[in-house]
Amino acid sequence: MVVTLERDDVSELIRPEDMWEPIGPTPMPEIPDLRNWSMRLLKTYKPFYAPFCDLCCLCTYGKCDLTAGRKGACGLDIASQQARMVLIACCTGLAAHGAHARHMIDYLIERLGENYKIDLGMQVDVEAPITRTVMGLKPETLGGLRRVVEYVEGGLIHLVSSTHTGQEGSSLDFEVKNLHAGMLDLLVMEAADIAQIVGFGYPTSIADTPLVDIGWGSVDKTKPVVLCIGHNAASANALIDYLRANDLEDEVEVCGICCTAHDVTRYSDKAKVVGPLSRQLFFLRCGIADVILTDEQCVMTNIPEEARKTGAALIAGSDKICYGLEDATEKETDEVVQEMVDDGKQFVIFDPEKAGEVAARVAVEIAPRRKKGFIDEAEAQELAKGCEKCKAFMCSQACPNLLPIQQGMQQAAEGSFDRLRSLFDQCFTCGKCEQECPRHLPVVKIMQSVATKETFKLRSGRGPVHDVEIRKVGSPIVLGTIPGIVAFVGCSNYPAAGDIAEMAEEFAKRKYIVCLSGCAAMTAAMQKDEEGKTIYEKYPPDFDAGCILNVGSCVANAHIAGAAIKVANIFATLPSRANYEVIADYILNRVGACGVAWGAYSQKAATIGTGFNRWGVPVILGPHSSKYRRLYLSRKEEDDWTVMDGRTGQLVGTQEPTPEHLAYVIETKERAMVTIPKLCMRRNDTPPGRQIKLSHYISLYKRYMGSLPDDLHHFVRSTRDIPLVYKKEVLPYLKEMGWKEKPALSLPTLIGTYPSKVRLDAVIH
Amino acid sequence: MAEVMKLPFWRVNVLTGLKGARVIEDPRECAGLIRRAKRPLFVAGPRAIDHYFDNGKTSLEYVLEIARLVNMPTCATAHVKKRMLELGIKPDSVYDIIEIINHLKDPDWQGVRKEGNHDLIVFSGIRCELAELGLSTLKHFAPHLKTMALCRYSHPNADYAQPILSDEKWKGYFEELVTNLQQ
Ligand code: SF4
Ligand code: SF4
Ligand code: SF4
Repeated sequence: MVVTLERDDVSELIRPEDMWEPIGPTPMPEIPDLRNWSMRLLKTYKPFYAPFCDLCCLCTYGKCDLTAGRKGACGLDIASQQARMVLIACCTGLAAHGAHARHMIDYLIERLGENYKIDLGMQVDVEAPITRTVMGLKPETLGGLRRVVEYVEGGLIHLVSSTHTGQEGSSLDFEVKNLHAGMLDLLVMEAADIAQIVGFGYPTSIADTPLVDIGWGSVDKTKPVVLCIGHNAASANALIDYLRANDLEDEVEVCGICCTAHDVTRYSDKAKVVGPLSRQLFFLRCGIADVILTDEQCVMTNIPEEARKTGAALIAGSDKICYGLEDATEKETDEVVQEMVDDGKQFVIFDPEKAGEVAARVAVEIAPRRKKGFIDEAEAQELAKGCEKCKAFMCSQACPNLLPIQQGMQQAAEGSFDRLRSLFDQCFTCGKCEQECPRHLPVVKIMQSVATKETFKLRSGRGPVHDVEIRKVGSPIVLGTIPGIVAFVGCSNYPAAGDIAEMAEEFAKRKYIVCLSGCAAMTAAMQKDEEGKTIYEKYPPDFDAGCILNVGSCVANAHIAGAAIKVANIFATLPSRANYEVIADYILNRVGACGVAWGAYSQKAATIGTGFNRWGVPVILGPHSSKYRRLYLSRKEEDDWTVMDGRTGQLVGTQEPTPEHLAYVIETKERAMVTIPKLCMRRNDTPPGRQIKLSHYISLYKRYMGSLPDDLHHFVRSTRDIPLVYKKEVLPYLKEMGWKEKPALSLPTLIGTYPSKVRLDAVIH
Repeated sequence: MAEVMKLPFWRVNVLTGLKGARVIEDPRECAGLIRRAKRPLFVAGPRAIDHYFDNGKTSLEYVLEIARLVNMPTCATAHVKKRMLELGIKPDSVYDIIEIINHLKDPDWQGVRKEGNHDLIVFSGIRCELAELGLSTLKHFAPHLKTMALCRYSHPNADYAQPILSDEKWKGYFEELVTNLQQ
């Protein structure tokens, strides 16, 4: 069923005359088209709600208290209200990525024309696996990418509309829409990243991208410094163009925070990454940036005020964030520069080239007269003496990370900084403690004294996984002999900054394929071993067992989903065109991938995670993400794990909970370490593959939990699955648990277990 | 009406609705609630491992003592199991915090001893924001059971919560609770 587009329109848009693959059942799906697939997922992975708020205050009938079975005046219950809030978050996230893609593509079309070809280099033929699978078309040109955005924009209207009062009333159907939003999100992110790769000439078809400098200590403060913050690198790249054209690239330091930093280093490996978004206020307060150039998403909303505090200049470069500033887009450039330099004026400039030029020129002018840098321990000690050790511990009360700041301040006041150093690792420098402190102690500034000033190495984002890499690893991934793909993604609201590098390295050592993106990729770079090396220097950058690769910024997450699709399409030769259910089903049952969004904080991250879930990829979230208020969980003992054997057409009660959950919150790194290998298990694992996966699960469980896994019997299908080294221990354990051999099957699939247009033989390859 | 906990120590957990925890100031009352429960369960989180009182005891040791005194089964979440084994105690069940809550909200779940779902769940040692969200799940979706938070920062979404306590007073509360359960 099609809601908005007539079938003929769809046919015309996807050009059926292009015969690259047969057209599957769901070209350009709308909400109803993949509803049954989503409902099937939700049958096994039921929504779990943790209401973050008992009330609904979205219309004037309210506020309605929805506690313990009460309903709102419109009839809504607490579960549906939670699902609705998640949909509002997912739509916000989708809109942020969609608007980013729309701006990027329109901007590049203006510069290069809509017929500008998409060419991702020798190693990437399947250029847009998500677009091919979801929409059924190959984008081919920048104009083709615009069509992707138009389709997503159409879908978004329906999704947002469902959140109005008196629309959807079922939590399950809200979740169908959440999954739809997630799917559109990954799709539009793919379009955004492809556009910027081809439009700006970012590296593609190479794995060995440059190692770039990361860390606030890497920024050369003796030069004029421009700090770019956000996710849309159009103006940051225009700044680089200006510097190159004027022979200033070595004279002006360009650095970035958050994803713009990733993308500007894909454009110029001289640019520096300051760090993840959690270090935004921290870096702003040190005043090292002479000019702050903001674009969009995850930018602090009070930057005009923060910039004034240190005397930094500010240019807002996006219509998403104007801060109430005067629009200088049409003003003479010389005049703008002069007003910024002489009068300290802040402007919004919508033209990236102009914003770039103004940023460079203002930085050169004002840098020599600014005092900037981190405070030292002596200064910090003086400031820390201001802590009056209030009995209410106001700083700790306000801290979202529950940090005992008073202890750190007391010790710092006595000249000892170790406690503060360990607190900094867990602090995301939000500044809430300062606000509540009766003395307004500058906690974030004091933290400068304990922050490392080292320079680290980050491998700059490489974009898509190569087709040739997929050909090499497809078989071992599907057989299970490469134990999994682990993707550390998302933001920096994690329990401790060191966790991500530690987990990434553990799984690389164990020969998993480790992918990173976004702020997680940056955070992982900011740890060195005893030899002073970061994980990017120690492990090869390929999409292969035991390697660590950075795909790039948030929008590059699409390439991780793309890699899973390519396993189905390139390795297993399943047609992907408009064939969403078949490909997602393949990924769910065969591709042992697991996302870890340890510090997910934003609405975008909620959407991305939900998008991965619809593709059949489980996602682990850190403890703060419980505030997203919804997970997708199974109950392994009680649930029905019946699937279809695609070859025999028989239903098989596998009794095998793989993957066990789709969206799951974990409290500690230790528990995450044991859960990741479990969520990489798939029904399709061969006995040798399952042996390898179980051996990692067992060895990590023993390390962190002190025993054999308590649920091991659920994951051993036959004695051939038991790793040889553990056989002596596992056999008596299985006996004690009353374990019996589980039914075997040759081609696990959900197709045939729910109403679908897809025929069962479509899964046979 | 008894005092309802609205604002715990951590300000991220502010109560928004009408149903909030009853604050149990008196450890004797707390002991009574625990003793009266037919099928209680103690859910211990990882902060109980790391929290040392000035007498050298961890809060986990108090948790285990309380559980032992009333023959209450335990659930070790996160990586608590390892420490329990080191202390020579095998947890009655091992689930992560989200998993145990997901089971508890099903009235037909048979509980960790397969004797029926639990009627009182005592929580301690879980990160505050996560515990509060889990307690919210049970407040809304598990009317068949009661929850109790033994956390010195308190929890508005529990049915019964300790008041906000200093470390010293928290230790005293635990000591008195143990003494009362011994009687
Ligand atoms: S949308 Fe419904 S639940 Fe929310 S305030 Fe209005 S009537 Fe109440
Ligand atoms: S700045 Fe750090 S210590 Fe202060 S409230 Fe935020 S996270 Fe906590
Ligand atoms: S709120 Fe301020 S005065 Fe009170 S303990 Fe924290 S830093 Fe010290």
